[in-house]
Amino acid sequence: MSYGFLIFLMAFLFLLLGYLGVPVAFAIIASVLVVTAFTPVSLASMMTQLFNGMDIEALLAVPFFLLVGELMTSANVTTRMIALSQALIGHVRGGLAQVVTLFSMFFAGVSGSSAADVAVLSRSIGPDMKREGYDPGFIAALIACAATMANLIPPSIMAVVYGATGNVSIGGLFLAGVVPGLLVGIGLMVYSHFFGPVGIKKKRASFGELSAAARGASLPLVIPVIIMGGILTGWFTPTEAGVAAVVYILLVCIPAINRGYFRRLPHDLAMTGLLYSIPLITIAAASAFGWMLAYLRGPAAVSGWIASVAGNDPVLIMLLLVGLFIIVGDFIDAIPAIIIFMPIILDLTQNASINPVHMGVVIVLTLAFGLITPPYGICLLMASKFTGVRFGRALRASLPIYVVFLGAILFCIYVPEAVLWLPKQFLPQSVGCFKNPSGDGYICP
Amino acid sequence: MILCGVAITGFTVSVTCDIVTRLLRSPWLWLQEVTMTFFIYGVFIGTAAATRRNDHLYLAAVTESMSGRKRLALETFSRLVVLGVAFCLVWFGYLNVLDGFKSLRMPSMTPLASLYAGIPLCGALVALFTIEQLVNGWKNGFEARVT
Repeated sequence: MSYGFLIFLMAFLFLLLGYLGVPVAFAIIASVLVVTAFTPVSLASMMTQLFNGMDIEALLAVPFFLLVGELMTSANVTTRMIALSQALIGHVRGGLAQVVTLFSMFFAGVSGSSAADVAVLSRSIGPDMKREGYDPGFIAALIACAATMANLIPPSIMAVVYGATGNVSIGGLFLAGVVPGLLVGIGLMVYSHFFGPVGIKKKRASFGELSAAARGASLPLVIPVIIMGGILTGWFTPTEAGVAAVVYILLVCIPAINRGYFRRLPHDLAMTGLLYSIPLITIAAASAFGWMLAYLRGPAAVSGWIASVAGNDPVLIMLLLVGLFIIVGDFIDAIPAIIIFMPIILDLTQNASINPVHMGVVIVLTLAFGLITPPYGICLLMASKFTGVRFGRALRASLPIYVVFLGAILFCIYVPEAVLWLPKQFLPQSVGCFKNPSGDGYICP
Repeated sequence: MILCGVAITGFTVSVTCDIVTRLLRSPWLWLQEVTMTFFIYGVFIGTAAATRRNDHLYLAAVTESMSGRKRLALETFSRLVVLGVAFCLVWFGYLNVLDGFKSLRMPSMTPLASLYAGIPLCGALVALFTIEQLVNGWKNGFEARVT
């Protein structure tokens, strides 16, 4: 059988089984095993590929960033961040909608999980928004869109997976994700202000109320400083920064804010233990899929086609890849998509001399957009489920917000200087800068 | 579930000890092996637990809108696929374990088979839980399952 047919068979089987209700990880493994049987590769060696997919030290950061989100939510620490967001911005037009976005930006700084963000917002602010008369479709759409920022603003689990599998600096990806994250956040705020519901006008918080809210939220807001500070100073790897954040929450935040929570800690540890295994077994399966795809020369064919259309033009290559990932992100989860398509991304990045961190941020942003696009917009699905709205209604409300994401993606493609500005300032080696041999500072390509 | 909690607690403690011993300038190199062991076994055991609880990632929940024989057929089909994969994990994972005795982990010189053993273990647990789901589903209907 030709390699092209085997690639088609593998993709077809995966989608067919997936849409028939087989869990994603098992659908991927089944499709890989079936196709492997038609090649000289031994099925036992595919087990090694499964294992290799998760035997990557950087992936240890994933459970820690999930644990941070779980602990913060379960111990009710997040309510203080919501209170601060309300004190800062609750008085403007569409106050609660603005609070959703601002809180998501804060929460994105402590947890890398969009799912946790959707759960927190749907449970805490969602009911208040309904009481104030916001359209339920708009509530679900806004919560889902705002939650995607968790994948852009550090620490981001998608960035960890991208960095770990593509051998790209995770610290660089974290820093480069800040600008697109802020762009999406500001875009959502502007959209809510001009096009969203008005909500109930509230009076501006007094200085006393604001400082009380800031004091209340000060302990959890140290977490981004620990994570990014530890990475930037070289004290911690991203994994160790995740552990440091967990230890800080357990030893400082929770005893100060909610001492009674410790009774629930064993349950939350078990729950997080279960939660982290789900993306990681999918990563392992996708890694085997990606290996088989590379064996069948799929990446070479796709990157060859893209290169034949775009030549070595980095902008055109990125636009084509964005188009590919928008389609891919509509059907499969972001993490397997990153791993399966990593060989193609690496090939094109190298051929067109694109900065790997720049490419990584554009891909992560595109896949974050995929979290709100049908049929597999997992954030939108979760938000519509939690807020009790039909998916179609939430989807209609989210369509105009897509403009914000498309604008952010185009900005990131066309203005790499803005994306790479923060890494160049704080982690120059991560974006290919090297020390000036004849003096201070760095020389950046 | 309890084992998942043990695994995450285990590698949280071992990474913390790793940082502390490094800061004290006497790093315990074997801690990294302990960390990866907890991490990898945690993934495999968690995968089995998630199978039992139907907590995995799904592309679509087509069966939830169905009922009767159509649903029974699709739910049975998806579990048979999972069961097939689980048996492959057990058998080919076992062959891989045998192969893993030829390679050693540094610095403890433990055979890599000790980590590879997680794959057939995961397969066996997934098979067990899937059979349990099939039996319960056929007896009580898949609509009644706890998700």
